Amino acid sequence: MINHTLKLDYALAPGWLEPWVEALTAGTALARTCSGCGRVSFIPLKTCPCGSDAGTWTALPGTATIEKRTDGTDGSFALVTFDGADTSTVVMLDNVPDGAKRGRIAAAGSAKPALILRPVDEEGAA
Amino acid sequence: MVIVAGAAQTPYNRRKDNSSFRDWAAGAFTAALAMSGLEATDIDLLVVASESDFFTLQLNPASVLASDLGLVGVAAMRVEGGGASGQLAVHAGVHAILAGQAARVAVVGVDPSASQLSGDAIRTLYGYSFDAWSDGMTGVTATVLYALSWQVYAEESGLDERHLGAVTIQNRANAMKNDKAHLGRLHTADEIERSAAIASPYRRLHCSPLSDGAAAMILCGADAVPAERRSAPRICGTGAATDTLHLGSRPQKGRFEAKTAAMKRACKQAGIGPDDIGLAEVYDSYAGAQLQALDCLGLATDIGRELQDGRFAPDGGLPVNLSGGLMGLGAPVGAIGVGQTANCALFLEGRNKGTIQPKSPPAYALADTHGGICTTAAVTLLAQGDAA
Repeated sequence: MINHTLKLDYALAPGWLEPWVEALTAGTALARTCSGCGRVSFIPLKTCPCGSDAGTWTALPGTATIEKRTDGTDGSFALVTFDGADTSTVVMLDNVPDGAKRGRIAAAGSAKPALILRPVDEEGAA
Repeated sequence: MVIVAGAAQTPYNRRKDNSSFRDWAAGAFTAALAMSGLEATDIDLLVVASESDFFTLQLNPASVLASDLGLVGVAAMRVEGGGASGQLAVHAGVHAILAGQAARVAVVGVDPSASQLSGDAIRTLYGYSFDAWSDGMTGVTATVLYALSWQVYAEESGLDERHLGAVTIQNRANAMKNDKAHLGRLHTADEIERSAAIASPYRRLHCSPLSDGAAAMILCGADAVPAERRSAPRICGTGAATDTLHLGSRPQKGRFEAKTAAMKRACKQAGIGPDDIGLAEVYDSYAGAQLQALDCLGLATDIGRELQDGRFAPDGGLPVNLSGGLMGLGAPVGAIGVGQTANCALFLEGRNKGTIQPKSPPAYALADTHGGICTTAAVTLLAQGDAA
């Protein structure tokens, strides 16, 4: 056997996603609103399905409704729709109890654009 | 016309014999070349499928294999499209022949997905198969995305874990009769239910394994095939398509729309429809993915009933994954699509020894592969050889 260790430290430039990455790192939800059709995408899309690549950044409240949830050794994750967004996204659930329908975005705490959802104080509260 | 002059695969498994991916690639290539009746000097293009340099620790693997396989001087390229890499490499070879850029093409798919890195390392790398800057940084795994997509599909189609169990049991049983398979097993529903929950509803036994292995094909234009291989099966249609990167952005999160588009393109080229397909090797990275695939390829109209009635069983009207599929045969990523297409050609020709070889091979077969959460889809259609 040839034993070999490769350690890589990436410094990924966020490019056009910089506002989104900065917002996620801070624990806030920033969506992309298409200038062509008005669709609000979170996760943001560079080019909207309507074909327009022009858009503006829109701050969302940060609360979301859980549509589907999966649990297991890989962790707890959910398909959710953030309030104010027209698209859904997949998030990691952090201490969100089974059966909960709502959650709030949280900062990853590691300077990464991670999508993390934590419980809201009151079910359904924005 | 593109003729499959040679087709072969190594066993898929977790290698413990100190052999490397270069050995496996050479083994598959040598067997396919021998079947074709050609010599290495007859090959004018090498197409290599390998998903990730992280697996092989080898950038530009096509150059390495060209040297190992005695193909120095030929044109060589590496094709990558996640899980669809192998199928896209086949397409690249077909397109080169149809465009007149090559006459005899070697397609080699290979990946060491099991023995060279830990399972956790491979699964971490697979997590970057989607959007590395959102799903990847969040820690979303392949199993998580497939589980969520399956949940949507199951709700819409009225399927449940019994159907996942039926696919798991069938594919692993098929693999028991394939001497190259990684996971031939006789499972019970209870055993599946007791296996660890990876991402509900997916349990460990619903998932395809990490495997090592290689597959190879020798493709020839009609004017370049040896006389004794003129009646070999031919590739009559190729189609590929993409879907929105993020599962959540798709209007139908349970459906693999890219597969539907790829199938339409392949059928249009072949001049046939889904009803003409008599045998299919489909991408069953997870048990539910097979059912989603059959539906979205247009190969089923009432998937739950047809599964229950045995239509996709070895003696059914449309045998699916006779090889065992990814779940049973195994899943060395770069080799998957090449192996699926190679197996279809061997089934059509009636010479897939060591497997459930149909006694009366059908007229047409289908190989279906995808990458990501069906973000990249590739379909290849094969037909019985034309002796004319």
